[in-house]
Amino acid sequence: MKCFYVFLTFLFITAAAAPLPAFGATTLYVTSDSAELKAESSSSAETIAELKRGAELTLETTEGRWYRVTAENGRTGWIYRGKVSEDKPDIEDIEGGGDGLGGLLGGLSGSDISADAADSSRSIRGLSPEAKEYAESTGTPQQSQDALDYVLSLSIADPEIDQFLKQGKVGEYAE
Amino acid sequence: MTHSKDISINKTITSRRNFLKLAGPFALFLSCPAYAFDLFKIIDPEGKNKDINKAKQALEGLTGIIQSAEGIDYPSEFTIGQTLALEGFQYYGLPVKNEKLQKYVTTLGNAVAKNSNRPEIPYYFVVVDTPIYNAFSCPGGIVFLSGSLVKGMNDEAELACVLAHEVAHVSHKHALSSVRRAKFLEGAAKIGTVNMQGEEGKQFRDMVGNLQTVLFDKGLDQGMEYEADESGMETAYRTGYDPNGLVRVLKMLQEKQAGATAKGSWFSTHPPLSSRLEKCYKWQKKYPDAAQMATVKNRFLTYREMI
Repeated sequence: MKCFYVFLTFLFITAAAAPLPAFGATTLYVTSDSAELKAESSSSAETIAELKRGAELTLETTEGRWYRVTAENGRTGWIYRGKVSEDKPDIEDIEGGGDGLGGLLGGLSGSDISADAADSSRSIRGLSPEAKEYAESTGTPQQSQDALDYVLSLSIADPEIDQFLKQGKVGEYAE
Repeated sequence: MTHSKDISINKTITSRRNFLKLAGPFALFLSCPAYAFDLFKIIDPEGKNKDINKAKQALEGLTGIIQSAEGIDYPSEFTIGQTLALEGFQYYGLPVKNEKLQKYVTTLGNAVAKNSNRPEIPYYFVVVDTPIYNAFSCPGGIVFLSGSLVKGMNDEAELACVLAHEVAHVSHKHALSSVRRAKFLEGAAKIGTVNMQGEEGKQFRDMVGNLQTVLFDKGLDQGMEYEADESGMETAYRTGYDPNGLVRVLKMLQEKQAGATAKGSWFSTHPPLSSRLEKCYKWQKKYPDAAQMATVKNRFLTYREMI
Protein backbone atom coordinates (compact mmCIF):
# COMPACT_ATOMS: atom_id res chain seq x y z
CA MET A 1 0.00 0.00 0.00
CA LYS A 2 2.91 2.26 0.89
CA CYS A 3 4.42 1.58 -2.53
CA PHE A 4 1.16 2.62 -4.14
CA TYR A 5 1.22 6.04 -2.44
CA VAL A 6 4.89 6.49 -3.36
CA PHE A 7 3.98 5.72 -6.98
CA LEU A 8 1.04 8.17 -6.91
CA THR A 9 3.30 10.89 -5.46
CA PHE A 10 5.86 10.19 -8.20
CA LEU A 11 3.15 10.46 -10.89
CA PHE A 12 1.90 13.73 -9.44
CA ILE A 13 5.39 15.28 -9.30
CA THR A 14 6.18 14.13 -12.86
CA ALA A 15 2.90 15.52 -14.20
CA ALA A 16 3.44 18.84 -12.42
CA ALA A 17 6.97 19.16 -13.80
CA ALA A 18 6.02 18.34 -17.40
CA PRO A 19 5.90 21.36 -19.73
CA LEU A 20 2.20 21.25 -20.57
CA PRO A 21 0.76 23.80 -23.01
CA ALA A 22 -1.32 26.57 -21.50
CA PHE A 23 -4.98 25.61 -21.18
CA GLY A 24 -6.98 26.65 -24.24
CA ALA A 25 -3.94 27.70 -26.32
CA THR A 26 -4.58 27.07 -30.03
CA THR A 27 -1.70 26.23 -32.32
CA LEU A 28 -1.94 27.46 -35.88
CA TYR A 29 0.27 26.83 -38.90
CA VAL A 30 0.99 29.07 -41.86
CA THR A 31 -0.59 27.25 -44.81
CA SER A 32 -0.28 29.83 -47.59
CA ASP A 33 2.70 30.15 -49.87
CA SER A 34 3.76 33.31 -48.07
CA ALA A 35 2.42 35.29 -45.15
CA GLU A 36 3.26 38.50 -43.36
CA LEU A 37 3.07 39.19 -39.66
CA LYS A 38 1.68 42.71 -39.26
CA ALA A 39 2.05 45.17 -36.39
CA GLU A 40 -1.71 45.84 -36.48
CA SER A 41 -4.81 44.13 -37.85
CA SER A 42 -4.57 45.75 -41.26
CA SER A 43 -2.81 44.98 -44.54
CA SER A 44 -1.43 48.52 -44.57
CA ALA A 45 0.22 48.10 -41.15
CA GLU A 46 3.98 47.61 -40.83
CA THR A 47 5.23 44.12 -41.69
CA ILE A 48 7.20 42.84 -38.73
CA ALA A 49 8.09 39.39 -40.09
CA GLU A 50 7.80 37.25 -43.23
CA LEU A 51 6.51 33.84 -42.24
CA LYS A 52 7.27 30.64 -44.10
CA ARG A 53 4.71 27.97 -44.91
CA GLY A 54 4.48 25.53 -42.00
CA ALA A 55 5.58 28.12 -39.39
CA GLU A 56 3.97 27.42 -36.02
CA LEU A 57 1.99 30.16 -34.28
CA THR A 58 0.03 30.46 -31.06
CA LEU A 59 -3.34 32.14 -31.32
CA GLU A 60 -3.81 34.95 -28.80
CA THR A 61 -7.04 36.60 -29.92
CA THR A 62 -9.10 37.44 -33.00
CA GLU A 63 -10.43 40.70 -34.44
CA GLY A 64 -12.67 40.37 -37.50
CA ARG A 65 -10.72 38.49 -40.17
CA TRP A 66 -7.40 39.01 -38.36
CA TYR A 67 -5.70 36.81 -35.77
CA ARG A 68 -3.27 38.06 -33.15
CA VAL A 69 -0.58 35.40 -32.86
CA THR A 70 2.81 34.73 -31.30
CA ALA A 71 5.49 33.21 -33.50
CA GLU A 72 8.01 30.62 -32.33
CA ASN A 73 10.63 33.32 -31.81
CA GLY A 74 8.27 35.08 -29.40
CA ARG A 75 7.28 37.92 -31.73
CA THR A 76 3.63 38.85 -31.57
CA GLY A 77 1.64 40.38 -34.40
CA TRP A 78 -1.42 40.04 -36.64
CA ILE A 79 -2.03 37.69 -39.55
CA TYR A 80 -4.93 37.39 -42.02
CA ARG A 81 -7.07 34.33 -41.17
CA GLY A 82 -6.90 32.87 -44.69
CA LYS A 83 -3.15 32.31 -44.33
CA VAL A 84 -3.35 29.90 -41.40
CA SER A 85 -4.96 26.65 -40.33
CA GLU A 86 -5.07 24.39 -37.32
CA ASP A 87 -3.87 21.57 -39.58
CA LYS A 88 -0.16 21.35 -40.24
CA PRO A 89 0.46 21.54 -44.00
CA ASP A 90 2.38 18.89 -45.93
CA ILE A 91 5.35 20.59 -47.51
CA GLU A 92 6.41 19.07 -50.81
CA ASP A 93 9.93 18.96 -52.19
CA ILE A 94 9.36 19.81 -55.84
CA GLU A 95 13.01 19.70 -56.84
CA GLY A 96 12.67 16.02 -57.78
CA GLY A 97 15.95 14.27 -58.40
CA GLY A 98 14.78 10.99 -56.86
CA ASP A 99 14.94 7.58 -58.46
CA GLY A 100 11.30 7.64 -59.47
CA LEU A 101 9.72 8.48 -62.78
CA GLY A 102 11.91 11.58 -63.17
CA GLY A 103 14.73 9.30 -64.23
CA LEU A 104 12.34 7.36 -66.39
CA LEU A 105 11.10 10.39 -68.29
CA GLY A 106 14.62 11.77 -68.48
CA GLY A 107 15.29 8.98 -70.91
CA LEU A 108 12.79 10.37 -73.36
CA SER A 109 15.32 12.91 -74.50
CA GLY A 110 18.40 11.20 -73.22
CA SER A 111 18.85 13.74 -70.43
CA ASP A 112 17.50 14.14 -66.93
CA ILE A 113 14.63 16.53 -66.40
CA SER A 114 16.27 19.56 -64.94
CA ALA A 115 15.41 20.25 -61.32
CA ASP A 116 15.02 23.94 -62.15
CA ALA A 117 11.98 23.01 -64.28
CA ALA A 118 10.15 23.22 -60.97
CA ASP A 119 11.83 26.41 -59.84
CA SER A 120 9.62 28.05 -57.25
CA SER A 121 10.21 31.55 -58.63
CA ARG A 122 7.72 30.64 -61.35
CA SER A 123 10.21 31.59 -64.04
CA ILE A 124 9.42 31.44 -67.73
CA ARG A 125 10.06 28.10 -69.36
CA GLY A 126 8.93 26.51 -72.55
CA LEU A 127 7.86 23.09 -73.64
CA SER A 128 10.03 20.41 -72.07
CA PRO A 129 12.27 18.30 -74.37
CA GLU A 130 10.25 15.23 -73.37
CA ALA A 131 6.94 16.85 -74.36
CA LYS A 132 8.54 18.00 -77.64
CA GLU A 133 9.60 14.44 -78.36
CA TYR A 134 6.07 13.27 -77.57
CA ALA A 135 4.71 15.93 -79.95
CA GLU A 136 7.02 14.73 -82.73
CA SER A 137 6.18 11.07 -82.22
CA THR A 138 2.43 11.74 -82.27
CA GLY A 139 2.41 14.34 -85.07
CA THR A 140 1.01 17.06 -82.80
CA PRO A 141 0.28 20.19 -84.90
CA GLN A 142 2.76 23.04 -84.48
CA GLN A 143 -0.01 25.43 -83.42
CA SER A 144 -0.76 23.25 -80.36
CA GLN A 145 2.93 23.29 -79.42
CA ASP A 146 3.01 27.08 -79.88
CA ALA A 147 -0.13 27.41 -77.74
CA LEU A 148 1.47 25.47 -74.90
CA ASP A 149 4.69 27.47 -75.20
CA TYR A 150 2.59 30.62 -74.88
CA VAL A 151 0.75 29.39 -71.78
CA LEU A 152 4.00 28.37 -70.10
CA SER A 153 5.42 31.83 -70.75
CA LEU A 154 2.65 33.53 -68.78
CA SER A 155 4.40 33.95 -65.46
CA ILE A 156 3.04 36.05 -62.60
CA ALA A 157 5.23 37.48 -59.86
CA ASP A 158 4.02 37.64 -56.25
CA PRO A 159 3.90 41.48 -56.14
CA GLU A 160 1.53 41.39 -59.15
CA ILE A 161 -0.79 39.04 -57.25
CA ASP A 162 -0.76 41.34 -54.21
CA GLN A 163 -1.50 44.35 -56.39
CA PHE A 164 -4.35 42.44 -58.06
CA LEU A 165 -5.94 41.55 -54.70
CA LYS A 166 -5.43 45.10 -53.45
CA GLN A 167 -7.18 46.58 -56.49
CA GLY A 168 -10.11 44.20 -56.04
CA LYS A 169 -10.18 44.75 -52.23
CA VAL A 170 -9.97 41.02 -51.74
CA GLY A 171 -8.94 39.09 -48.61
CA GLU A 172 -6.57 40.99 -46.37
CA TYR A 173 -7.15 44.10 -48.53
CA ALA A 174 -10.92 44.13 -47.91
CA GLU A 175 -12.23 47.34 -46.35
CA MET B 1 23.94 -36.45 -31.37
CA THR B 2 25.57 -33.92 -29.06
CA HIS B 3 27.40 -32.46 -32.05
CA SER B 4 24.21 -32.00 -34.05
CA LYS B 5 22.56 -30.49 -30.98
CA ASP B 6 25.49 -28.05 -30.68
CA ILE B 7 25.12 -27.14 -34.35
CA SER B 8 21.43 -26.59 -33.85
CA ILE B 9 22.07 -24.41 -30.76
CA ASN B 10 24.77 -22.48 -32.67
CA LYS B 11 22.41 -21.97 -35.61
CA THR B 12 19.75 -20.66 -33.25
CA ILE B 13 22.25 -18.28 -31.64
CA THR B 14 23.47 -17.12 -35.07
CA SER B 15 19.94 -16.53 -36.34
CA ARG B 16 19.09 -14.65 -33.14
CA ARG B 17 22.19 -12.50 -33.64
CA ASN B 18 21.27 -11.92 -37.28
CA PHE B 19 17.71 -11.17 -36.28
CA LEU B 20 18.99 -8.54 -33.85
CA LYS B 21 21.30 -7.17 -36.55
CA LEU B 22 18.39 -6.93 -38.99
CA ALA B 23 15.81 -5.66 -36.53
CA GLY B 24 17.55 -2.29 -36.21
CA PRO B 25 17.76 -1.53 -39.94
CA PHE B 26 14.16 -2.72 -40.50
CA ALA B 27 12.89 -0.50 -37.68
CA LEU B 28 14.95 2.36 -39.09
CA PHE B 29 13.64 1.64 -42.58
CA LEU B 30 10.11 2.29 -41.43
CA SER B 31 11.07 5.78 -40.31
CA CYS B 32 13.86 6.64 -42.76
CA PRO B 33 14.82 4.16 -45.52
CA ALA B 34 18.12 5.86 -46.46
CA TYR B 35 19.54 5.51 -42.94
CA ALA B 36 18.66 1.80 -42.88
CA PHE B 37 21.08 1.16 -45.75
CA ASP B 38 23.79 3.17 -43.95
CA LEU B 39 23.29 1.03 -40.85
CA PHE B 40 23.75 -2.14 -42.94
CA LYS B 41 27.14 -0.78 -44.06
CA ILE B 42 28.18 -0.26 -40.44
CA ILE B 43 27.08 -3.77 -39.33
CA ASP B 44 28.56 -5.55 -42.34
CA PRO B 45 31.01 -3.20 -44.11
CA GLU B 46 32.34 -5.82 -46.54
CA GLY B 47 28.92 -7.20 -47.45
CA LYS B 48 29.91 -10.81 -46.66
CA ASN B 49 26.96 -11.74 -44.46
CA LYS B 50 24.43 -13.61 -46.63
CA ASP B 51 21.47 -12.87 -44.36
CA ILE B 52 22.22 -9.18 -44.35
CA ASN B 53 22.65 -9.19 -48.13
CA LYS B 54 19.26 -10.89 -48.50
CA ALA B 55 17.71 -8.32 -46.18
CA LYS B 56 19.29 -5.51 -48.20
CA GLN B 57 17.76 -6.91 -51.38
CA ALA B 58 14.37 -7.20 -49.69
CA LEU B 59 14.56 -3.59 -48.53
CA GLU B 60 15.59 -2.43 -52.01
CA GLY B 61 12.51 -4.14 -53.47
CA LEU B 62 10.34 -2.63 -50.77
CA THR B 63 11.74 0.83 -51.54
CA GLY B 64 10.72 0.40 -55.18
CA ILE B 65 7.19 -0.54 -54.21
CA ILE B 66 6.94 2.39 -51.83
CA GLN B 67 8.21 4.82 -54.51
CA SER B 68 5.58 3.56 -56.97
CA ALA B 69 2.85 3.80 -54.37
CA GLU B 70 3.85 7.30 -53.30
CA GLY B 71 3.58 8.48 -56.89
CA ILE B 72 5.88 10.24 -59.23
CA ASP B 73 8.01 13.32 -58.72
CA TYR B 74 6.91 16.80 -59.77
CA PRO B 75 9.07 17.20 -62.93
CA SER B 76 7.64 13.95 -64.33
CA GLU B 77 4.12 14.91 -63.33
CA PHE B 78 4.54 18.26 -65.10
CA THR B 79 5.84 16.61 -68.27
CA ILE B 80 2.84 14.27 -68.34
CA GLY B 81 0.68 17.37 -67.88
CA GLN B 82 2.37 19.09 -70.83
CA THR B 83 1.69 16.19 -73.17
CA LEU B 84 -1.93 16.12 -72.07
CA ALA B 85 -2.18 19.88 -72.63
CA LEU B 86 -0.96 19.35 -76.21
CA GLU B 87 -3.91 16.99 -76.68
CA GLY B 88 -6.23 19.45 -74.94
CA PHE B 89 -5.53 22.20 -77.49
CA GLN B 90 -6.38 19.78 -80.30
CA TYR B 91 -9.56 18.58 -78.61
CA TYR B 92 -10.97 21.86 -77.31
CA GLY B 93 -9.30 24.61 -79.31
CA LEU B 94 -6.53 27.17 -79.08
CA PRO B 95 -6.14 29.99 -76.52
CA VAL B 96 -8.48 32.97 -76.88
CA LYS B 97 -6.31 35.60 -78.52
CA ASN B 98 -6.37 38.26 -75.87
CA GLU B 99 -3.25 38.80 -73.78
CA LYS B 100 -5.06 40.91 -71.14
CA LEU B 101 -7.73 38.27 -70.58
CA GLN B 102 -5.18 35.44 -70.30
CA LYS B 103 -3.06 37.46 -67.86
CA TYR B 104 -6.16 38.28 -65.78
CA VAL B 105 -7.18 34.62 -65.46
CA THR B 106 -3.57 33.58 -64.77
CA THR B 107 -3.23 36.19 -62.01
CA LEU B 108 -6.51 35.20 -60.36
CA GLY B 109 -5.65 31.50 -60.67
CA ASN B 110 -2.27 32.01 -59.02
CA ALA B 111 -3.84 34.14 -56.29
CA VAL B 112 -6.12 31.28 -55.24
CA ALA B 113 -3.41 28.63 -55.79
CA LYS B 114 -1.24 30.35 -53.15
CA ASN B 115 -3.89 29.41 -50.59
CA SER B 116 -4.42 25.87 -51.83
CA ASN B 117 -3.00 22.78 -50.15
CA ARG B 118 -0.21 22.62 -52.75
CA PRO B 119 1.10 26.16 -53.29
CA GLU B 120 4.71 25.08 -53.89
CA ILE B 121 4.30 24.38 -57.60
CA PRO B 122 3.74 26.93 -60.38
CA TYR B 123 0.28 26.95 -61.97
CA TYR B 124 -0.69 27.95 -65.51
CA PHE B 125 -4.15 28.93 -66.72
CA VAL B 126 -5.56 29.30 -70.21
CA VAL B 127 -8.95 30.24 -71.64
CA VAL B 128 -9.57 28.33 -74.87
CA ASP B 129 -11.87 29.25 -77.70
CA THR B 130 -14.64 26.64 -77.67
CA PRO B 131 -18.45 26.64 -77.39
CA ILE B 132 -18.26 23.65 -75.00
CA TYR B 133 -18.79 24.39 -71.30
CA ASN B 134 -15.80 22.84 -69.59
CA ALA B 135 -12.75 23.25 -67.39
CA PHE B 136 -10.10 20.67 -66.61
CA SER B 137 -6.62 20.49 -65.21
CA CYS B 138 -3.59 18.58 -66.36
CA PRO B 139 -1.22 16.96 -63.86
CA GLY B 140 1.47 19.36 -62.71
CA GLY B 141 -0.71 22.48 -62.87
CA ILE B 142 -1.89 23.46 -66.38
CA VAL B 143 -5.55 24.47 -66.12
CA PHE B 144 -7.89 24.82 -69.12
CA LEU B 145 -11.12 26.85 -69.10
CA SER B 146 -13.50 27.17 -71.99
CA GLY B 147 -14.43 30.68 -73.11
CA SER B 148 -18.10 29.66 -72.94
CA LEU B 149 -17.86 28.72 -69.28
CA VAL B 150 -16.25 32.07 -68.39
CA LYS B 151 -18.86 33.91 -70.48
CA GLY B 152 -21.63 32.26 -68.46
CA MET B 153 -20.26 33.62 -65.17
CA ASN B 154 -21.18 36.94 -63.58
CA ASP B 155 -18.45 37.85 -61.11
CA GLU B 156 -14.84 37.20 -60.09
CA ALA B 157 -15.82 35.07 -57.10
CA GLU B 158 -17.48 32.57 -59.47
CA LEU B 159 -14.33 32.39 -61.59
CA ALA B 160 -12.15 32.13 -58.45
CA CYS B 161 -14.20 29.15 -57.24
CA VAL B 162 -13.92 27.32 -60.58
CA LEU B 163 -10.17 27.97 -60.76
CA ALA B 164 -9.79 26.81 -57.14
CA HIS B 165 -11.79 23.65 -58.01
CA GLU B 166 -9.33 22.89 -60.83
CA VAL B 167 -6.31 23.70 -58.65
CA ALA B 168 -7.69 21.20 -56.13
CA HIS B 169 -7.65 18.47 -58.79
CA VAL B 170 -3.96 19.22 -59.36
CA SER B 171 -3.09 19.50 -55.68
CA HIS B 172 -4.83 16.21 -54.85
CA LYS B 173 -3.27 14.58 -57.97
CA HIS B 174 -6.68 13.30 -59.01
CA ALA B 175 -5.91 12.70 -62.70
CA LEU B 176 -2.79 10.67 -61.99
CA SER B 177 -4.59 8.66 -59.31
CA SER B 178 -7.21 7.71 -61.88
CA VAL B 179 -4.57 6.10 -64.13
CA ARG B 180 -2.33 4.73 -61.37
CA ARG B 181 -2.76 1.24 -62.78
CA ALA B 182 -1.28 2.26 -66.14
CA LYS B 183 1.54 -0.07 -67.19
CA PHE B 184 3.89 2.86 -67.68
CA LEU B 185 3.53 3.91 -64.03
CA GLU B 186 3.76 0.36 -62.66
CA GLY B 187 7.45 -0.03 -63.50
CA ALA B 188 8.29 3.60 -62.87
CA ALA B 189 10.47 3.05 -59.84
CA LYS B 190 12.59 0.41 -61.55
CA ILE B 191 13.07 1.48 -65.16
CA GLY B 192 15.87 3.95 -65.75
CA THR B 193 15.31 5.06 -69.34
CA VAL B 194 12.55 4.95 -71.92
CA ASN B 195 12.65 5.28 -75.68
CA MET B 196 9.63 7.01 -77.21
CA GLN B 197 9.90 4.68 -80.21
CA GLY B 198 10.03 1.53 -78.08
CA GLU B 199 7.66 -0.35 -75.79
CA GLU B 200 7.98 2.18 -72.97
CA GLY B 201 7.16 4.97 -75.41
CA LYS B 202 4.01 3.08 -76.36
CA GLN B 203 3.12 2.63 -72.68
CA PHE B 204 3.65 6.36 -72.13
CA ARG B 205 1.33 7.25 -75.04
CA ASP B 206 -1.23 4.72 -73.79
CA MET B 207 -1.19 6.39 -70.38
CA VAL B 208 -1.71 9.86 -71.95
CA GLY B 209 -4.55 8.30 -73.97
CA ASN B 210 -6.12 6.98 -70.77
CA LEU B 211 -5.81 10.42 -69.19
CA GLN B 212 -7.56 11.95 -72.21
CA THR B 213 -10.42 9.47 -71.88
CA VAL B 214 -10.76 10.33 -68.20
CA LEU B 215 -10.54 14.12 -68.50
CA PHE B 216 -12.18 14.75 -71.89
CA ASP B 217 -14.79 12.01 -71.96
CA LYS B 218 -15.55 9.82 -68.93
CA GLY B 219 -14.69 12.26 -66.17
CA LEU B 220 -12.92 11.73 -62.87
CA ASP B 221 -14.32 9.66 -60.04
CA GLN B 222 -17.36 11.40 -58.48
CA GLY B 223 -15.69 11.44 -55.07
CA MET B 224 -12.79 13.40 -56.56
CA GLU B 225 -15.19 15.98 -58.00
CA TYR B 226 -16.91 16.46 -54.65
CA GLU B 227 -13.51 16.78 -52.97
CA ALA B 228 -12.49 19.43 -55.53
CA ASP B 229 -15.78 21.29 -54.97
CA GLU B 230 -15.25 21.37 -51.20
CA SER B 231 -11.56 22.34 -51.53
CA GLY B 232 -12.44 24.91 -54.18
CA MET B 233 -14.95 26.66 -51.92
CA GLU B 234 -12.49 26.61 -49.03
CA THR B 235 -9.56 27.93 -51.10
CA ALA B 236 -11.63 30.72 -52.65
CA TYR B 237 -12.88 31.69 -49.16
CA ARG B 238 -9.36 31.69 -47.70
CA THR B 239 -8.25 33.97 -50.54
CA GLY B 240 -11.11 36.33 -49.69
CA TYR B 241 -13.77 35.43 -52.26
CA ASP B 242 -17.40 34.50 -51.71
CA PRO B 243 -17.39 30.66 -51.71
CA ASN B 244 -21.00 30.67 -52.92
CA GLY B 245 -19.60 31.62 -56.31
CA LEU B 246 -19.40 27.88 -56.97
CA VAL B 247 -23.09 27.43 -56.21
CA ARG B 248 -23.94 30.22 -58.66
CA VAL B 249 -21.81 28.61 -61.41
CA LEU B 250 -23.44 25.22 -60.89
CA LYS B 251 -26.89 26.80 -61.05
CA MET B 252 -25.92 28.64 -64.25
CA LEU B 253 -24.79 25.34 -65.76
CA GLN B 254 -28.09 23.74 -64.76
CA GLU B 255 -29.90 26.39 -66.79
CA LYS B 256 -27.59 25.97 -69.79
CA GLN B 257 -27.58 22.17 -69.74
CA ALA B 258 -30.72 21.64 -71.83
CA GLY B 259 -29.43 23.17 -75.05
CA ALA B 260 -25.70 22.59 -74.58
CA THR B 261 -23.32 20.11 -76.23
CA ALA B 262 -22.82 17.24 -73.79
CA LYS B 263 -19.79 15.49 -75.30
CA GLY B 264 -16.56 16.70 -73.73
CA SER B 265 -18.42 19.14 -71.47
CA TRP B 266 -18.82 19.52 -67.70
CA PHE B 267 -22.22 17.86 -68.12
CA SER B 268 -20.65 14.60 -69.26
CA THR B 269 -17.39 14.69 -67.28
CA HIS B 270 -18.78 15.78 -63.90
CA PRO B 271 -21.36 14.31 -61.49
CA PRO B 272 -25.00 15.44 -61.84
CA LEU B 273 -25.32 19.12 -60.99
CA SER B 274 -28.19 18.47 -58.57
CA SER B 275 -26.07 16.19 -56.36
CA ARG B 276 -23.13 18.63 -56.46
CA LEU B 277 -25.41 21.49 -55.45
CA GLU B 278 -26.86 19.43 -52.64
CA LYS B 279 -23.37 18.92 -51.20
CA CYS B 280 -22.42 22.56 -51.72
CA TYR B 281 -25.46 23.68 -49.72
CA LYS B 282 -24.11 21.65 -46.79
CA TRP B 283 -20.62 23.16 -47.09
CA GLN B 284 -22.08 26.68 -47.27
CA LYS B 285 -22.79 26.42 -43.54
CA LYS B 286 -19.05 26.59 -42.85
CA TYR B 287 -19.02 30.17 -44.14
CA PRO B 288 -21.54 32.25 -42.19
CA ASP B 289 -19.93 35.52 -43.35
CA ALA B 290 -19.80 34.50 -47.04
CA ALA B 291 -22.05 37.39 -48.05
CA GLN B 292 -19.40 39.85 -46.83
CA MET B 293 -16.66 38.29 -48.96
CA ALA B 294 -15.47 39.78 -52.24
CA THR B 295 -17.29 39.23 -55.55
CA VAL B 296 -15.52 41.91 -57.68
CA LYS B 297 -18.22 42.06 -60.32
CA ASN B 298 -17.15 45.12 -62.31
CA ARG B 299 -13.56 44.05 -62.93
CA PHE B 300 -14.74 40.60 -64.01
CA LEU B 301 -17.29 41.99 -66.46
CA THR B 302 -14.60 44.16 -68.09
CA TYR B 303 -12.53 41.08 -68.88
CA ARG B 304 -15.52 38.92 -69.80
CA GLU B 305 -16.21 41.35 -72.63
CA MET B 306 -12.87 40.32 -74.15
CA ILE B 307 -14.03 36.79 -74.98
